[in-house]
Amino acid sequence: MSAITLRNVVKRYGAVQVVHGVDLTIDEGEFVVLLGPSGCGKTTTLRMVAGLEDVSEGELSIGGRVVNNLAPKDRGVAMVFQNYALYPHMTVRQNMEFALRPMKLEKSVVDKRIADTAEILGLSPLMERRPAQLSGGQRQRVAMGRAMVRTPKVFLFDEPLSNLDAKLRTQVRWEIGKLHQRLGTTVLYVTHDQVEAMTLADKIVIMRDGYVEQVGTPEEVFAHPKTTFVATFIGSPAMNMIDGRIESGRMVAEGISFAIPARYHVSEGQAVTLGIRPSEIKIAASDDAGALDARVEVTEYLGNEALLDLRIGRHEMVAEVPAADRVEPGRTIRVRFNEAALHLFDAQTGKTLAL
Amino acid sequence: MGYIQRRNRRIFLIFLFPVIVALFATTIYPMLYAGWLSFRNYDLAKPFIPRVFVGWANYAEVLSSGPFLHALITTFKLMAITLSVQLVLGVGIALLVTQKLRGMGLVRTLLLIPMMISPVIVGLVWLFLYFPELGYLNYFLSLIGLGPVSWITSTDWALLAIAIADIWQWTPFVMMGTAAALQSLSPEPYEAARIDGNSRWDVFSRVTLPQLKPVLVSLMFLRAIDAFKIYDIIFVLTKGGPADSTEVISLYIYRQSFTFWRMGVGAAASFVSLIIISVLITLFFKSLQRGQASKG
Repeated sequence: MSAITLRNVVKRYGAVQVVHGVDLTIDEGEFVVLLGPSGCGKTTTLRMVAGLEDVSEGELSIGGRVVNNLAPKDRGVAMVFQNYALYPHMTVRQNMEFALRPMKLEKSVVDKRIADTAEILGLSPLMERRPAQLSGGQRQRVAMGRAMVRTPKVFLFDEPLSNLDAKLRTQVRWEIGKLHQRLGTTVLYVTHDQVEAMTLADKIVIMRDGYVEQVGTPEEVFAHPKTTFVATFIGSPAMNMIDGRIESGRMVAEGISFAIPARYHVSEGQAVTLGIRPSEIKIAASDDAGALDARVEVTEYLGNEALLDLRIGRHEMVAEVPAADRVEPGRTIRVRFNEAALHLFDAQTGKTLAL
Repeated sequence: MGYIQRRNRRIFLIFLFPVIVALFATTIYPMLYAGWLSFRNYDLAKPFIPRVFVGWANYAEVLSSGPFLHALITTFKLMAITLSVQLVLGVGIALLVTQKLRGMGLVRTLLLIPMMISPVIVGLVWLFLYFPELGYLNYFLSLIGLGPVSWITSTDWALLAIAIADIWQWTPFVMMGTAAALQSLSPEPYEAARIDGNSRWDVFSRVTLPQLKPVLVSLMFLRAIDAFKIYDIIFVLTKGGPADSTEVISLYIYRQSFTFWRMGVGAAASFVSLIIISVLITLFFKSLQRGQASKG
């Protein structure tokens, strides 16, 4: 049985439609990330699942039960908010107690649950502090603890790491991943950060302008992006894109020409967009006949790798090469694209041409 | 002292000067003069009699005077009624007008009108409402078969009638302050409570109220100071009567000074009540704040 199912779920504010028919199935215990730029409808979708927003159209079920008209408290979900949403005048313990209050549990059960959760999250020494006396990372852990004590069927996370600094973000991200492994609870997680999505998700749902662009495992969305949007949104540095045309069975852009890999279906004269990840542009030997001339404009040294800003014909592209192979700016080198790793998209629709 | 510091200091003094002059002329000098008066025998009806120094005699008289004690108790009674009702009503209305409904802005503005009316006018308006034979209030009561009530002419009702007028005028003040505080509360904890399923009462009493408490304490502090000074409404409605049942401190002082012309006694009563009220109010609100700190 699936934990959460969305069938053609639509959200409208008056005449403005912000979520256009989302279909999604989330299995029991799965970690699903809604990923997209701001304004893509990911948070609205999460809030509909939580019950903080009404579903305008479509069907939303949790645990096999349609919950469109169910109050948030009856949905068996717990939510962790971007700004933590802690009660500022309550201690850590009181925050957790207040979340448990509606369940009307025995005092001993409440105490045990809170103690266990505090133990797992390392909050035990902080129980009598108030949110203002905690660091951002600690507050976020309290917010998670407050969700955990209720032992919900589903955890909802709304950009939980966006208020943390970069170092803390990595740490808390790791903690969230570990927590999910340990608890095995279904998670629906919203973020605009592809690294969070790639590292945490069993399944990534990439959204744009209220539409779902692609659903897949991190490997799938990285290796087989279905649209140019997904191709450029996932992966860092972003995939290089070149506009071109199909001529005599080859993809031709100004000064560049490639054979079409067999997995793509193209027709003669079709306008296409070619995508190549920076790591798939390799430095070639100077006598390599199939290689292209590339002028190095900027070199960025990153430690293990270096990024080369290249000008190939009239196209600007980024290549990621081992740091040892980096080249001084201003020089012209020969590069070769890994043709097996080329992506082809329809220039009009932005959709992949893969069969 | 550096140049900038010296210049800032000069500007500071120039800006402060008018305020100091005004404060001195309207507050400090009269207060010092009243202090001087309170130790003297000064009968305004017989201004030619020398103002003899009488030591603490005026203070002794005030402190042992039944009417003064009565006025003090009446003041606190009135304060207790008006403040508690204003608190409950003010918070209640604030909760209603901060709902996100169409037209709430207009409703809120309209509700502020009583506060903008001069207290004398408020007194007159309520005089028309309370008027024994011709008043609207008794007319409306008669429509539902009640009354007539001797609003301002009976010792049972007069203080309550004044309290009602004061509540009508000043509840908007509490409402406005509370509404502003409510709107500054972060909305996320309320969403968290919705998801967790906390009852409305739990959310109000354990999330909203504790966060409002500092603001409510301040609002009540301001209202307490005002309530202690209440004068205009009572003067217009009852002039302290009937049978002194609405004679509050300010009316007692007024009567001593300008009805009996005993300026020295009036001045002494002013100082006694100032001290009593300062001490009591400070103690009361300090204890409230302490209660809050210990909870944290």
